[in-house]
Amino acid sequence: MQHTICALATGTGGAVALVRLSGPEACRIWQELSHRTHLPEPRKQILCTLYDGEEVLDKALVTYFQAPHSFTGEDVVEFAVHASPYVKGRLLERLCAHGAVMAKRGEFSQRAFLNGKMDLVEAQGLCDLIASGNKASHKLAMDSLDGKLSARVTDIKKRLSELLAQIEVRLDDVDEEMTPLSDEFISGEINTVLVHIKALADTFSVGKYIKDGLKTALVGAPNSGKSSLLNALVGFDRAIVSDQSGTTRDTVEETLELNGQKIILTDTAGIREHALDPAEKEGMRRSRRAMERADLILFVLDASRPLTPEEQELWQAIRRQQKRTLIVWNKTDLQSAHPALEEAEKYEQAEVSCKTGEGLAHLKKLITADVTEAQTADGLMISNLRHYEALLRAQTELESALIRLQTQAGGEIYAEHLRGALKHLQDLIGEVTPDDVLGIIFSKFCMGK
Amino acid sequence: MFVCEDKYDVVVIGAGHAGCEAALASAKLGAKTLLLTQSLDTIAQMSCNPSIGGIAKGQIVREIDALGGAMGRVTDHAALHYHMLNTGKGPAVHSPRVQCDKKVYQFTFKHFLELQPNLDIMQDEAVKISVSDNGVDGVLTLRNTFYHTKTVILTTGTFLAGTIHIGTEMFRGGRYNDMPSDGLAKNLREDLHLNILRFKTGTPMRINARGLDFSKFRLQPSDNPLQAISHFTDEKEQSKRTFLSCYITRTTLETDKILRANFQRSAMYSGNIHGLGPRYCPSVEDKIKKFPDVTSHPLFLEPEGFHTEEYYIQGFSTSMPEDVQRALIKSVPGMENASITRPGYAIEYDFSDPRDLYPSLESKRIPRLFMAGQINGTTGYEEAGGQGIIAGINAALKVQGKEPFVLRRDEAYIGVLIDDLINKGVNEPYRMFTSRAEYRILLRNDNADLRLTPHAFKLGLLDDKYKAPFEKYQALCQKLIEHPAAPVDENETELFPWTVEKARRHADIYHKYAGYYERNKKDAERLAEMDSIKIPEGFDPSTVRGLLFESAQKLASVKPQTLGQAGRIPGVTPADLQLLAVHIERFRRLKNARAAH
Repeated sequence: MQHTICALATGTGGAVALVRLSGPEACRIWQELSHRTHLPEPRKQILCTLYDGEEVLDKALVTYFQAPHSFTGEDVVEFAVHASPYVKGRLLERLCAHGAVMAKRGEFSQRAFLNGKMDLVEAQGLCDLIASGNKASHKLAMDSLDGKLSARVTDIKKRLSELLAQIEVRLDDVDEEMTPLSDEFISGEINTVLVHIKALADTFSVGKYIKDGLKTALVGAPNSGKSSLLNALVGFDRAIVSDQSGTTRDTVEETLELNGQKIILTDTAGIREHALDPAEKEGMRRSRRAMERADLILFVLDASRPLTPEEQELWQAIRRQQKRTLIVWNKTDLQSAHPALEEAEKYEQAEVSCKTGEGLAHLKKLITADVTEAQTADGLMISNLRHYEALLRAQTELESALIRLQTQAGGEIYAEHLRGALKHLQDLIGEVTPDDVLGIIFSKFCMGK
Repeated sequence: MFVCEDKYDVVVIGAGHAGCEAALASAKLGAKTLLLTQSLDTIAQMSCNPSIGGIAKGQIVREIDALGGAMGRVTDHAALHYHMLNTGKGPAVHSPRVQCDKKVYQFTFKHFLELQPNLDIMQDEAVKISVSDNGVDGVLTLRNTFYHTKTVILTTGTFLAGTIHIGTEMFRGGRYNDMPSDGLAKNLREDLHLNILRFKTGTPMRINARGLDFSKFRLQPSDNPLQAISHFTDEKEQSKRTFLSCYITRTTLETDKILRANFQRSAMYSGNIHGLGPRYCPSVEDKIKKFPDVTSHPLFLEPEGFHTEEYYIQGFSTSMPEDVQRALIKSVPGMENASITRPGYAIEYDFSDPRDLYPSLESKRIPRLFMAGQINGTTGYEEAGGQGIIAGINAALKVQGKEPFVLRRDEAYIGVLIDDLINKGVNEPYRMFTSRAEYRILLRNDNADLRLTPHAFKLGLLDDKYKAPFEKYQALCQKLIEHPAAPVDENETELFPWTVEKARRHADIYHKYAGYYERNKKDAERLAEMDSIKIPEGFDPSTVRGLLFESAQKLASVKPQTLGQAGRIPGVTPADLQLLAVHIERFRRLKNARAAH
């Protein structure tokens, strides 16, 4: 029996996202999610409410393609949902909770090919796609962000493997000599690991950007066009969620939605009133405070004139923040002065004209592009649903082990769950190390015949 | 040269625990079989410990038995002490272990072989395997006799180019007092070009019990009631027999001191041994070196037979010089006045890289050549026997032009064993542990018959008289699983050798593991799905663009037969498997298209 697989079929952006579900369980999973008992009519789009437990997740347009008359040749259900990251992510989570697994790169096409829905020429493109995924996942360990994730998961795995080795060695203890592990020790170890796994998993589903919005500080000299940029962004999108003054009188906070992502823009509005010195110092102080609270800094510059010493000074202050920063060259409708900014090439840059609206769409894309990939305060965040799913499954295994520990089920049962958890963690970092546990056993324990 | 006029289907070289099972199995399947051994008096000899079974090994014995093999029955016949290991833990890890009278064991086995139709036994040493274009075609012996054969099964144990070490003393031998097989070793290396490597193993000293002070040992009596290791033994009758006891004692600080003072004189540390030894079951000097904090190790005294005072000292395996061995013995409470009858020793021997084997245990390099036991890098009588029966079955099936018989990882420890060997290879002598089995909950000692006996009937390895009782037993187990309180005729006699009690035990264990059973089964189905995708003949993984370089290399060297097998090669990624799946389908379509033209 094949797995039922799911994945997002559309990229980021747009108002509607398409989530595809394919495999023998597709209909059942759809029924569970829609609280319906009948099968949808094939090839007919219907409007239906999707539930997250008892709560409504979204109203979606759903189309059912009956095997073999579908893209993959299997039963396929397609969900057109609102493109907010929360809805998309949560829908995939719920599909997985009901028994689907996240599709591997190219897996839909692979199935289409294996089911005779694709010819040999098309298959070559498919292979290239899988191969690039293979290289990409292989590269994970080299990447700084994923490297950190991989290191963290490896730490967790190591701790879990050691516990498993302690349990396994007693199951295989021929001399019947070893003192049994206490329940406190086992539960203590499992709980420690659980804390780490949960912390990591939590960065995904309640990831602070998704939940609280991306805090973005607009920083720049008074005449750089900061406010017009703010208005352009807000007005252009016409999607102001709330409009409230900041908690302090000298900053303005606007909450808006860009590309389905919640953004909280902070404009250091006070700077203007104090103009030049001696208040410039006060302006710098406020800018710094806004930057400190921000996840993203937009440094707005007037492209039509050279930079002032104050702006150079501000730039140094921004760089000291070591945060994700976008340099926004404003007023590109005027003659460009090509002002020089130290090490600007190391940062993402955008050229806009608030007057003509040129470049604004690109800037919006830049602001939101990296959101789910961005780092949390401790530098680590799960951005990939497949990673999240693996962590969640590992967590479930460990929680089951704790429950079984209370009923004194025995080492071979705890081992089943720990093995399960380790397998999911292994899937997460894509490595295969079958003899880990035996290695630990042999190095740490004296095994008899 | 005398050319024997009898033409054989199968020639088995070596009559140890692998060879004996192999010969029996192939003969039972109707293949005309010849078993060649250096000496008829050492058939099925227990060269090391006087026991059969143990953790995970006991399960293997039950599996061999369920498949119609002889190891379990012979063990019950020769039993002098029963012990079910791990009874304090869950039933998935309960493992039977039986101490045996070594002489009774080997002569009983010899008798089994002598009674087997289609099986000839000949005392002679094989020195050369004759190979033509179609693979193996004959065997030449030391006596210069040539046997025509369609297949050969190599079960050479520690005999290939064997060298024995006691301290710095070194001499040639396949086992103490037996000649090494040098001619065959040379033939395998130089003519057949097998990938030959070296391993090391060891055995402890034996002592005379006359001088022992048993009051200083802890008594380990035989289990009462006992559980027979064979499914076909009448447990009631077996319980009436007389059994002996084993004893437990420990090494002391004095033992430790002696070992430390003499490290350089051990063969293991003197630089004479190059073969790799096992990480488990290490020599006692190994234990001290690797675990310096453990100052006392357990020793188990096991009788070598009913009619001897010789004891085997499990845990005292060593390659120290003889004088040190004497001092070691005297450092143990109760053994102060004991005398050594045979010193412990280490032995180095040739084995062949098991990654060169198909799951049938046939060589990928030489068609019709099968291998089983220590030649594949394993250790242990049980591991040898398990491979032996599979090699025997498959040699016979090959001759008959039938599909090979392969056990899956979720079906048997034997399946795990062979799958591990051929996919992962070995870097130390391989012994079974329950932790090697991902489907441990399924692979138990209490259900070996339910797992494997249907195969045995299908293949023709078991007497048909067992068929009706077994089917009754299967039905009873199912009934008790579904309705634990169902009325059962407790005195049902038509079940024999199975019993109501066994069925009840099985149902109880099933209920204990119910959820895990399903889970393991589901995982196993996924595995079976992958294993059902065959990698077609002629398919070259090196032509698959996008495979990781390392994966491509590994696939090229292991040559897996199914996608499942490919996935179990260390380092092969899930994406690699996806690519392979697409390319296999592509290969198949292109081939069909060509055939249509």
